[in-house]
Amino acid sequence: MLTYDVVIVGGGGAGMRAALEAARDKSLQVAVFSKTYPTRSHTGAAQGGINGAFAFKDPTDSIEKHFKDTVKGSDFLGDQNAIDFFVNECPECILELERMGVPFSRDEFGRIAQRPFGGASSPRTCYSADKTGHVILHTLYEQCLKHGVKFYNEWFLLELVVDKGRFQGLIVQNMHDGCIHPVNTKSVVIATGGFGRIYWNRTTNALNMTGDGTAACFNAGIPLKDPEFVQFHPTGLAGTGILMSEASRGEGGYLINKNGERFMSRYAPEKMELGPRDLVSRAIETEIREGRGVGGNGNFYVLLDLRHLGKKKILERLPQIRELAIDFENLDPIEHPIPIRPSCHYMMGGIHVSDHTTCSTPVPGIHAAGECACVSIHGANRLGGNSLADVIVFGKAAGKGACLSAKELSSGAEPILLKRTAYWEEKFRTMREKGHGLKVAEVRDRLAATMWNNVGIFRTEKEMEKALSEVEELLQEYNSCYIGDSSTKYNSAFIQYVETGNLLNLAKAVALAAIARKESRGCHARDDYPTRDDANFLKHSTVTKIGDEYKLSYIPVTITKYQPEERRY
Amino acid sequence: MAMEIVYRVKRFDGEKSYYQEYSIPYEKDRTILWGLIKIRDEIDPTLSFRSACRSAICGSCAIRVNSNALLACKTSLDKQLALYQTNILTLEPLANFPVIRDLVVDWENKFKHMTEVKPWLIGEKDCPGGTGYYRQSPDEFLEISNPTDCILCGCCVSECTQHTNLRDEFYEPFIFTKSWRFTADSRDNSPKAHLLPVLNEGGLWKCVRCQQCITKCPKGVRPADHISRLRCSSMNYGFTDNLGTRHAQAFAEYIQKTGRLNEVTLPLKTEGIFRTLKRIPFALRLLRKGKLRPLYFPSPIQGIEGIRKIYNRLRKEEKK
Ligand SMILES: Cc1cc2nc3c(=O)[nH]c(=O)nc-3n(C[C@H](O)[C@H](O)[C@H](O)COP(=O)(O)OP(=O)(O)OC[C@H]3O[C@@H](n4cnc5c(N)ncnc54)[C@H](O)[C@@H]3O)c2cc1C
Ligand code: FES
Repeated sequence: MLTYDVVIVGGGGAGMRAALEAARDKSLQVAVFSKTYPTRSHTGAAQGGINGAFAFKDPTDSIEKHFKDTVKGSDFLGDQNAIDFFVNECPECILELERMGVPFSRDEFGRIAQRPFGGASSPRTCYSADKTGHVILHTLYEQCLKHGVKFYNEWFLLELVVDKGRFQGLIVQNMHDGCIHPVNTKSVVIATGGFGRIYWNRTTNALNMTGDGTAACFNAGIPLKDPEFVQFHPTGLAGTGILMSEASRGEGGYLINKNGERFMSRYAPEKMELGPRDLVSRAIETEIREGRGVGGNGNFYVLLDLRHLGKKKILERLPQIRELAIDFENLDPIEHPIPIRPSCHYMMGGIHVSDHTTCSTPVPGIHAAGECACVSIHGANRLGGNSLADVIVFGKAAGKGACLSAKELSSGAEPILLKRTAYWEEKFRTMREKGHGLKVAEVRDRLAATMWNNVGIFRTEKEMEKALSEVEELLQEYNSCYIGDSSTKYNSAFIQYVETGNLLNLAKAVALAAIARKESRGCHARDDYPTRDDANFLKHSTVTKIGDEYKLSYIPVTITKYQPEERRY
Repeated sequence: MAMEIVYRVKRFDGEKSYYQEYSIPYEKDRTILWGLIKIRDEIDPTLSFRSACRSAICGSCAIRVNSNALLACKTSLDKQLALYQTNILTLEPLANFPVIRDLVVDWENKFKHMTEVKPWLIGEKDCPGGTGYYRQSPDEFLEISNPTDCILCGCCVSECTQHTNLRDEFYEPFIFTKSWRFTADSRDNSPKAHLLPVLNEGGLWKCVRCQQCITKCPKGVRPADHISRLRCSSMNYGFTDNLGTRHAQAFAEYIQKTGRLNEVTLPLKTEGIFRTLKRIPFALRLLRKGKLRPLYFPSPIQGIEGIRKIYNRLRKEEKK
């Protein structure tokens, strides 16, 4: 049986940062399992940058300001003790990246360059042109090669085995030959990214961001925290949802409606286009709703105008954005404004992390970091540039935490791991043999449609109830799905079947928690409860799965020094 | 008009390979990847290919279309149909990779090669004790900007003529890019450590400069240029005792002297007398076909002074 002390699931930014940390302890056996080659992870798609209060660009910036911006950005739902830890760690963690070799853009003094970002009171987003995530991901991978980290590439996590509250190990599938293996390990870091694909095509997320690790934790009895908080990025390409980074606004891009008006003046008169994402997304959707969108035939959008920045600046600072606009909308931003519309971008909610210093969850030995986890530092709305920072800061903390766990805990029990392996082998076999039924893609598309239409940017009880009952129906219908591929080799149909199941489970939790939160906070905007209600809802939702039952409860938010106030920009 | 387009896909199930045709209704403004997903969702769930970001950054979806490597997610279907004036496209896995299934190829070996050039900063030059950070000027950053655009998609590997030809004797083009990325990084304290593997194992001087890697790179990365830069670096470090350097030096010498090459004496300069003797049968064949003029010693071309001026100028710049 594959046996390790520490296993990391996920080869993205958080996973590899955790692996590097864990690999420092030479007495421990460490391995990374990832369903893609690490450099294919979605961290690579992050364009704009990573936040650290160095005060290079603006001498008045400070850790304290980063703290306040993050708390305010979270609409006071972020835990202030965790945010404090986070903003203090960011600068050193970014310098570590720099020393590892990340090629950051530079200022004239040779320091890391910084740019303004939405919701930030000073320009503190460090960047490498508009490919920041890409260079971080590749540098982390190169560091892992340097330190001889063991990778299992294209191995898929199927299940976390927890027995009577005790973590035992995991069940994984080698996608290349289809073999299913138990992995006996004392501790694990789940770093499997977000699940924006519950909205399928209306997302900036990669095709495989299906929240498998989140679902595995959820199935293992670990609560999902704040799942209702889904961030919609204001500037997805209208046709495909592909992201035009916030850097495009950071560098000075305008948002324009069909009358040629910079409409943000009505929603965030001071910050204008640099308002936080939730606010800008709602502004765009409001423009469209009120008939000031561009386009027609049910296909409306607004325009992102970069032309006034000039060719030089666009080529230097936003080359990738330009390329994306040319490739995917057939428009060159140097000459044309780009049609954009909000798209699902980021999950603030996720696996309930109960101790931010070790990223541990309520089950000893299971740690979580990155977008799959909810610490929570992002609360009801994440600030741009805070996620890459989250991935690095908490990836490192989780790696350390998992090492500590591995030293305290013993290995899992082999019989139960073998039993669960047999279960999955049987499932894989029956699915390969099953000749007919419902198409997985059909279930997936119906899920996305109901989530987009009913649990989108503006929400009401009636619509969300509709979504909930549809998701429940789909969960039933999912049982009659077939995959139509009998091969054991690289059976992506089976993988997609499992992924779709995960999306369904998670979407149900999103809808459930969203219905129960009868207020508007951050990106959870309800037409029927348009204001924030601190008296009743200044608390985290948690959804726990017990068998097929979903149980909703609440836990308090930690507030230390910044008392909730009205959030204005 | 409802036009049909046909994807003729090379399939492989682990044992046998064959071509299978899929017809899908044409839609405007779509990508190659769109078609693949449509086939998998609606016609044949067994069709295997990789994709993730669908925005040209993860490098998963590289395949060959009509024998040219490209990113399926970034390539416009309309443009391909127009380019080949057809509604049938042939899709195959990348060349020069082992195939796992259908369009899915195995990367493990490539990562091993990559590790050989030590793709990590060997540093501590300006940040003693591993604290603080390195200063780097915007210009120094620009030096490594192009090579760090590489997304490891494998398009260059598939189309490289010399790697196709020599396999293990000539690294995959992106590995030269990786090597250059660290050799050129102002923060690196040991550029030779990244350079020597490409010189000794990677076949640095074997590139024939066909430029396929540059033409085929979907991200505008320029591996062939990086190879040239690595060659210069290697000479600057004094690694001149090899065929490649001698060949380059002989070239330079001829051009300075006469403005043109002498193909009869060039091998002598490059390879020395013994190796050149081995080439005699080949030379005789060339002679017979009238491709070689043994008694031809070119006189300087018109305007040779101009060329020499360029050389002098370059030498001066170099000294600076
Ligand atoms: C387009 C885009 C742009 C962004 N730009 C920015 C930005 O500029 N600044 C910023 O701060 N944030 C940005 N974000 C957010 C940020 O990039 C992500 O939240 C972050 O990178 C997530 O990193 P991660 O390590 O948690 O997950 P990922 O990088 O998504 O990695 C997840 C890993 O888990 C693996 N995995 C998943 N499921 C399984 C399974 N079942 N078995 C095995 N392995 C599995 C995957 O293969 C992958 O390796 C952006 C996000 C998007 C979508
Ligand atoms: S899908 Fe990521 S590069 Fe094409």
